[in-house]
Amino acid sequence: MLKSPEWEMMIVWYFFLGGIAGGAYFTAAIADNFGSARDRAVARVGYLLSLPLTAACGILLIADLGLPFRFLNMLGKFSFWNPMSIGAWGIGVFGLFTFVSSLLSFSSSPERVALRRKIGLVGSIFGFFLASYTGVLLGGTAQPFWGEARLMGALFLASGASTGMAAISLILFLTGGAAGEGFGKVKKADRYSMILELVILAVFLALLGSAARPLTTGPMAPLFWGGLIGLGLVIPLVLDFVGRRARALTAVSAVLVLIGGFLLRYVVLMSVQA
Amino acid sequence: MARTLAMFTDTSLCIGCRACQVACKQWNELGMEVPEWTGTYQNHAHFTDKTFRLVRFVEEPKPTGDLAWLLMSDVCKHCAEAGCLEACPTGAIYRTQFGTVNINQDVCNGCRYCVASCPFGVVAFNETTGTAKKCTFCDDRIQNGLGPACAKACPTDSIQFGFRDDLVTKAQKRVVTLKGMGFKEAQLYGADSQGFLGGLNAFFLLLSKPSVYGLPESPKLPQRNVVVDSLLSIGSALVVGLGALLAFRERGKGPGDA
Repeated sequence: MLKSPEWEMMIVWYFFLGGIAGGAYFTAAIADNFGSARDRAVARVGYLLSLPLTAACGILLIADLGLPFRFLNMLGKFSFWNPMSIGAWGIGVFGLFTFVSSLLSFSSSPERVALRRKIGLVGSIFGFFLASYTGVLLGGTAQPFWGEARLMGALFLASGASTGMAAISLILFLTGGAAGEGFGKVKKADRYSMILELVILAVFLALLGSAARPLTTGPMAPLFWGGLIGLGLVIPLVLDFVGRRARALTAVSAVLVLIGGFLLRYVVLMSVQA
Repeated sequence: MARTLAMFTDTSLCIGCRACQVACKQWNELGMEVPEWTGTYQNHAHFTDKTFRLVRFVEEPKPTGDLAWLLMSDVCKHCAEAGCLEACPTGAIYRTQFGTVNINQDVCNGCRYCVASCPFGVVAFNETTGTAKKCTFCDDRIQNGLGPACAKACPTDSIQFGFRDDLVTKAQKRVVTLKGMGFKEAQLYGADSQGFLGGLNAFFLLLSKPSVYGLPESPKLPQRNVVVDSLLSIGSALVVGLGALLAFRERGKGPGDA
């Protein structure tokens, strides 16, 4: 009989916000480096969003410890293949990147913009890390279903990218930035990420087979099928498709993507521990 | 390193008296817990932060229709390849010079990754101390040349303490004896240092299949897939990155143009 680690709502929020932070930062870096001048709003929103979210991640992780004032013990050693250890280091390093990029996002001097672009590309590696290592961490446990899910990290990464892009597009919409070309590009990138997430999810379930039962049957099944796959992936894709000219519809789809991203973490964590 | 110490629990000798369970509680000052209904004489149902030795009472149907008692005093296995130790990000979980696995209570910060990573469900979180707890192999006693409290208290020598190599030899002979007596399923669990988890420093002689006692047939180190999972995540990152690049790329312009 295995014991669950009792990683509950704080960790669900942490996984969710960490995904958005990593996804938003990487989207900002891509827009910054490869987009046009009109995509600048995307970059700025992405960088500025990732900073407070990463800070929130750190606070949630520390608050969930049995002895929060001992959180620095996490940095007492560095074990490269231990997701919990390298994760603590990774959040700290990524936090520094989000801070510097956020500061530089207010600058328009060519040297600083060039520096910000380079920093953004390197920081994206850590953003991807933050979005995905949590899945690898679950895959490295002895728990049923988690320990057998080989694609959890890949799935969390696709979802993190997608929710990060949805968050940026939603902020652009709410602040009136939706008129810009950047909004359409973020939504397009989000569609690609969602399609990838659906593909990974299909392979994930196929590989797991009956081991996926805590997710696909039982108390979590309605949230998984209806909430995550239906409301969080299929409906947003349909809305984006039919509402390409109606920005309000695509904003609704962004909200649904965020709800889906939250539900993914919720059903994965709670299915084993409930 | 000193010769590895071990505990050999021969379940064929266990009479279910629970002297080990009580001795463990007394020596380690483990508090009282509210008992729970398990449907058998067994209490508690599982290891907890205050129960490090636990006598399992298993009733196995016999071909005649009767039930046979299978009694087993269970404990932390002190695995040679320990999931909890691999999981610990603070270095609180360490291997002693005797080969046993311990949690340094002054370093543990209660992240509970070890709880999730024990293939046997041994490590438990203590809400009061905010740290992870498990059997210490009575580290304070063995440091002073005494055996673990459970082994000392056992009246039938079902729990034996000593050097691992000696105990394994003894255990192998005991299996042969038991098989000769008609216990066809008699088998060792975790004695083989070439077997699962590099062998267990608390190993067992069972009278039936491991699953009958609620033990995994072939437990694996949970961290074995971290590299594969990481590579798959990197693959996912590359595809996501490519998608974003396609969405944002400006045709006919270099990346530097703005």
